[in-house]
Amino acid sequence: MIKTLRTVVLAGLVSLSPLAAGAVSTKKLNVVASFSIIGDFARHVGGDRIDVRSLVGANGDPHVYEPRPADVRTIAAADIVLVNGLQFEGFLRRLIEASGTKAPVVELTKGVQPLKSTEQAHNRERSGHHHHHGDYDPHAWQAVPNARIYVKNIVDAFCSIDPPGCTTYETNAKAYDATLSVLDEEIRATIARIPPHKRVVITAHDAFGYFAHEYGLTFLAPEGVSTDAEAPASDIASLIRQIKRDKIAAIFVENITDPRLVQRIAAETGSKVGGELYSDALSRPDGPAATYVDMMKHNASTIRKAIAPDVP
Amino acid sequence: MTRVQSGTIVVLLATIALNCAALAGEKTAWRLFVSDHSEPIVNVIDLLKQEKIETYATKAPARLYRSKTGRTVLAVQRGADVVTAIDSGISFDDHGDHGDIKVKAPRLLGLEIAGKQPSHVVEYGGEIAIFFDGEGRARIASERMILESKSVLRETAPGMPHHGVAVASDRYTLLSEPNVKNSDALPIGIKIVDKSGAQIGGVHSCPDLHGEATSGNVLVFSCATGLLVASMDGSAPQVKHLPYAAALPSGKTTTMLGGRGLQYFLGNYGADKVVLMEPTEAEPFRLVTLPMRRVDFSVDPVRAKFAYIFTEDGRLHRLDVIAGKLDGSLRVTEPYSMDGHWNDPRPRLAVAGDKIAVTDPARGVVSLVDAMSLTKAGEIRLGGTPFNIVAVGGSGQTHDD
Repeated sequence: MIKTLRTVVLAGLVSLSPLAAGAVSTKKLNVVASFSIIGDFARHVGGDRIDVRSLVGANGDPHVYEPRPADVRTIAAADIVLVNGLQFEGFLRRLIEASGTKAPVVELTKGVQPLKSTEQAHNRERSGHHHHHGDYDPHAWQAVPNARIYVKNIVDAFCSIDPPGCTTYETNAKAYDATLSVLDEEIRATIARIPPHKRVVITAHDAFGYFAHEYGLTFLAPEGVSTDAEAPASDIASLIRQIKRDKIAAIFVENITDPRLVQRIAAETGSKVGGELYSDALSRPDGPAATYVDMMKHNASTIRKAIAPDVP
Repeated sequence: MTRVQSGTIVVLLATIALNCAALAGEKTAWRLFVSDHSEPIVNVIDLLKQEKIETYATKAPARLYRSKTGRTVLAVQRGADVVTAIDSGISFDDHGDHGDIKVKAPRLLGLEIAGKQPSHVVEYGGEIAIFFDGEGRARIASERMILESKSVLRETAPGMPHHGVAVASDRYTLLSEPNVKNSDALPIGIKIVDKSGAQIGGVHSCPDLHGEATSGNVLVFSCATGLLVASMDGSAPQVKHLPYAAALPSGKTTTMLGGRGLQYFLGNYGADKVVLMEPTEAEPFRLVTLPMRRVDFSVDPVRAKFAYIFTEDGRLHRLDVIAGKLDGSLRVTEPYSMDGHWNDPRPRLAVAGDKIAVTDPARGVVSLVDAMSLTKAGEIRLGGTPFNIVAVGGSGQTHDD
């Protein structure tokens, strides 16, 4: 346990050293992102000065991702590694150890006000244990204000290792931040059009806590904050009862999870699957959530259309 | 280079350590289960004490398999048409950022799964499928049921006897398709059946099928022509054929292991070569030539970038999976020639924490090698001809609550 925690602590405390003078004047910054959403943030900040590779790609599930030897080689060649933190990337320590990388590992949730994981409170009620688990919900990017913090952290990290590019990074980030600010307002406006008593949504796993907290919805999920465990039958039965009792009509599949469980719940309750939400990964470039901005717009719009189709 | 604020870290780690100490203790336990080549026994060794703690009588010499959790060891006795289940006594309870360990005495579970000529045992997604060559069918049980000493969950329909394999998920079973012209020949492919036994689609061609492995969520079978790569995540298994690269010399893989912690596969390729396989990469095959013929190999579940290969000159080699090169060797035993009968007693490997255990049947011992330094770390005298070996254990927290 100490070993695991030390990795996290170290990652949170590295002070970034600039690359050798002129290093980036001749080559692009080699950036590795742990998953596609972070890769998209990095691309917007870094622009032409960086090459980005996301370990977990489009529609990939970081919760159950199995790193490959090629990923170790990718990390070994990285100038900087961008990760979410909050114990989201369970595969990270293995990769860092195997690669022997000296590249800084930057946790982008630094400065985010983390939400307590509803799963942990639930588990404690059930088991009576009092262990220290991953107490916080890691899906912080699902609220746009947090995404803006991620972007700021990326700027700081890039400027630290590539001072000559700092002006470019800050300029790019300023433009992207303006886009995110507009996106935030759009989502608030979209959700505001839904009558408050209808703002209850069912998804496969508990990935939308920050979205719910920021924009005023309630999300219910048979699986917890991670997709790596089967939902207990008692939880599914309880959820089905609640859907029937409260006449919840909005139920969604996710791009990263097996749709069968949600489809089964929909069949049991007579609900209609309202569409596909993007939680922990972007879609492929030709899909509806190829960027973070597209993903958030798609999710808000899909939820609104399913819950309140009559509302423009 | 990164500069670390070491003072802050020391304070933080000290705080963490104090908090952890207040909450829980830590415990490490490792056990080796070793079957004898000629005697029907399975010895259990406490690795930390380096002493034998138990001997179980079986009905015939056994090949050993351990479940992914390490909770169950199966002793496959082809000569007695039975598989005996053993509770390793070591179990873990996953708590997200740590695991709790419980250590009890090992015990026979009192469960024997009978059938003609048991052979390959494959665990996938918590279901353990044992193939019975003499019946051309598999018997499938969850580990939970085995630990509760309950009999088989289900079995596939009997088929033509052949040396086969089965992999079961909660909805489907992948079964080897025998060569109907010659039951002594290796299977010709894989078919998928649902729980009712109905076949889904056609047979996926895999001539001379022998060898399978899982690594994470990917399942691979080896064929004369390449690999069958199966994904069981979706609504129905997806199976693709990946031909051997043209650059590879003539040969095939017949024994495979799946990486732990990193997703890759390690297979033999002829007598004196191994091949590293990453099915999703643009160049999926990397060949590694050995100094001598291979006797056995094992992946390291802790230090994910390493695997170990034992060769007939008595040397243990460490394979760097990332670089695709041998990066160290140690002479462990006298030579064991690969000439002679295929089933002559020769060393087998198991990785147990920071040790690699090597059975040395000729001397009746289990030799220990330090995995980091590749130096000798002692030996445990068992007598007889120690042969098959599996390791179970790890570290975890213990609680007084």
